[in-house]
Amino acid sequence: MLSYILRRLAVLPVILLAVSLVIFAILRLAPGDPALSYLRLSQIPPTTENLAIARENLGLDKPLSDQYATWLAKAARLDFGRSYVTGRPVMDEILYYLPATLELAGASLLITLGLSVPMGVAAALRRDTALDHLTRAVAFAGVSIPNFWFGFLLVWLFSVELGWLPPLGRGGLSHLVMPAISLALMSLAVNTRLIRASMLETMHHRFILYARARGVSEGTVVWRHMFVNALIPILTATGMHVGELLGGAVVVESVFSWPGVGRYAVSSIYNRDFPVLQCFMLVMTVIFVVCNLAVDIAYAVADPRMRLGGQGGRA
Amino acid sequence: MTIFFRALTLVLLLAVPAAQALAGGNELAFSWQSNCGPLNPHLYSPNQMYAQNMLYEPLVRYDAGGKIVPWLAERWDISPDGRTYTFHLRQGVTFSDGTPFDAAAVKANFEAVRKNLPRHKWLELVNQLDGLEAPDPATFVMKLKGPYYPALQELSLIRPLRFASPAVFPDDGDTSKGIKKAVGTGPWLLAETKLGEYDLFVRNDKYWGKKPALERVRVKVITDPNARLTAYETGDVDLIYGSGGHASGQIGMDAFKLLAADKANVTGISGPLGTRALCLNSGRGPTRDLAVRQAVAHAVDKAALVKGVFLDVEKPADTLFASDIPYCDLKLPPFAFDRAKAEKLLDDAGWKLPKGATVRQKDGKELEIDFCFIGNDALQKFIAELMQGELAKVGMRIRLVGEESDAFGKRQHDGEFGIIFNDTSGPPYEPHAVVGSMRSPSHADYQAQVGLPMKADIDAKITQVLTTTDEAQRAALYKDILTTLHEQAVYLPLTNMTNIVVHRQDVTDPGFMPTKYEIPFQGMTKR
Repeated sequence: MLSYILRRLAVLPVILLAVSLVIFAILRLAPGDPALSYLRLSQIPPTTENLAIARENLGLDKPLSDQYATWLAKAARLDFGRSYVTGRPVMDEILYYLPATLELAGASLLITLGLSVPMGVAAALRRDTALDHLTRAVAFAGVSIPNFWFGFLLVWLFSVELGWLPPLGRGGLSHLVMPAISLALMSLAVNTRLIRASMLETMHHRFILYARARGVSEGTVVWRHMFVNALIPILTATGMHVGELLGGAVVVESVFSWPGVGRYAVSSIYNRDFPVLQCFMLVMTVIFVVCNLAVDIAYAVADPRMRLGGQGGRA
Repeated sequence: MTIFFRALTLVLLLAVPAAQALAGGNELAFSWQSNCGPLNPHLYSPNQMYAQNMLYEPLVRYDAGGKIVPWLAERWDISPDGRTYTFHLRQGVTFSDGTPFDAAAVKANFEAVRKNLPRHKWLELVNQLDGLEAPDPATFVMKLKGPYYPALQELSLIRPLRFASPAVFPDDGDTSKGIKKAVGTGPWLLAETKLGEYDLFVRNDKYWGKKPALERVRVKVITDPNARLTAYETGDVDLIYGSGGHASGQIGMDAFKLLAADKANVTGISGPLGTRALCLNSGRGPTRDLAVRQAVAHAVDKAALVKGVFLDVEKPADTLFASDIPYCDLKLPPFAFDRAKAEKLLDDAGWKLPKGATVRQKDGKELEIDFCFIGNDALQKFIAELMQGELAKVGMRIRLVGEESDAFGKRQHDGEFGIIFNDTSGPPYEPHAVVGSMRSPSHADYQAQVGLPMKADIDAKITQVLTTTDEAQRAALYKDILTTLHEQAVYLPLTNMTNIVVHRQDVTDPGFMPTKYEIPFQGMTKR
């Protein structure tokens, strides 16, 4: 198990190297000129003279390969340069805004798992009843509604009309409720459907019939035999949800003025703040890769077949 | 399953009291798209101009109609050769840290700006600075290399020639490396900054002038205009003030109209604060032809544009500068919307419409013009598409070139355009700074004018108008320059840009300021 984890971790630098190259190439090949961005954002007039100075200061006069090597060497020491807009070190800014995003994404993940499991299980057990139809309708709507629009609907109802919840900012639990629900909506809908399908598939296995024949209580059948076996696809999905939630935070944070790294990234994209974009994408890659690793480890824990080399099933 | 819904209900119920906790005291909540920055008076981004203006004050202030009025300088004398300005400073003014505001402090601030000359080169006054003297604590003498009449206008700018306490300067006096703390003479102090959340300003109780009625101004960071609108509707924001409707605007124009229709709100639209204009390239493509440029000006229905796109929040502009800008009330005859006249101009110039064709031709070349705009700027895109339709009616083919802002900026810089957006800067930069920059090849203005036969003459007159000490000659030169540019139709002014204000009845505001980034917090009250 330990060697498995170490092996996976060893691949991480290789992935990051490849991703960094892609990020660098995409940003540099995009139309536009970082020197011009720098001047515009620093509010320096873009005269030919100023452009030349900016190019030299930013190292843009060197060949792309040199620029990449310099950037990589600095990035390895966690020095991603300074934001063109604020002039502060990029890494400091991202680390400053990241906790708020993790708080939001974490709360959304809790909502996703906390609601999708009971909803999915209940829908599977009461298949084709009103409850099942309702769950499916909710899931359908959840997948179809864009999270920013749902966010505005929540604000309209709970902040404008009822005055129960604050429409913006970070603070106590009251501030977290609406952004977390808006962000969770999509993952919640997908997960509910997935759990329902996975449960339905598992409940027709023979070991379920045998368990019932042995006189095992219904609760044990559902949770210990059906649910645990239905868990594998859900784990995969959860790994993907983390990425989805972090990606969704980019939009939801703007709607709720949540002071997170997503909104910071949106401003940077809008401003073409190159150093910030490079660092942001790399940090997101690390989080994504680490989450997938965690999911793979969870697999091994949940399913002995993975640990033991794929012999026999659980019954 | 019900337990989960119970839990959710509980969470919501717990959340309610916290949401209802209100900000106490006499605090006004405003919002801006970013934090205010470290508030160094001598630097630019990320320092926000509205906030620099709250803390730091100028020697003289720009008042309505371009009148220069005393501020930290009570009066001043200008030598007959226009090169020596002697300022008599207001007595009894202190910085908010208790340091006296005197000639030595003024000199230290000017010197700090001069140390960072390349950064301020865009501002001609800084280039012109020669000697700085503080003969006594109440007198500051500024000597220029040559006469430069807009010196006072440029002293009134929000940056860089305003004053921080010398006590907060770094040891070597070079403020471009940062200052220890934001300390000015202004009516407000920066009490707290929470990145991504808010900036809190408190009243400067030691302020020399009329103290603000409000105790605090909390400026929340809201990037999304729709989020700003909901924040206003829920009472989380008391005031919306600033430009409306475009990328850096406070709220969309439709949202403004919606709020204006509700009697619970007090709304207002300012006078002209700059001109939304297009540059027509006299050095490239069919717009080299004066008749084509004039035909474009006659073919655009600005009244429809203002009604359809700007919802009457901005008014149509007929000249490059509004008539209330100094030296600009010239009564120039507007290019009225007249499609027949546009067609006649083109016919007479040899741009004929072949039988069955929709695009005019001259010497076998089609009348096709590149119209360049920022692709993700919804307003520019809308205007460009609208004009494409309008100009097609007189036989011009407009090729829309929507690009991201850097590529757009590069086109302005290099002159790679037929028609391009190029707004003026608004007071106090008008007309002198805008006209001055027409001589610089990195500006779209220069590029648009480069094909004019009298370009060298225009540039010479611009240099003359900025340096003459004779008021009558200055007015005559401005009239000459602006009339030529108007007749040559290198600019197509569209609308006068404005600021908007929205607040509820419990807030009062003293009306708009004469420039774009001054927000009159010190004249506001909240019940």
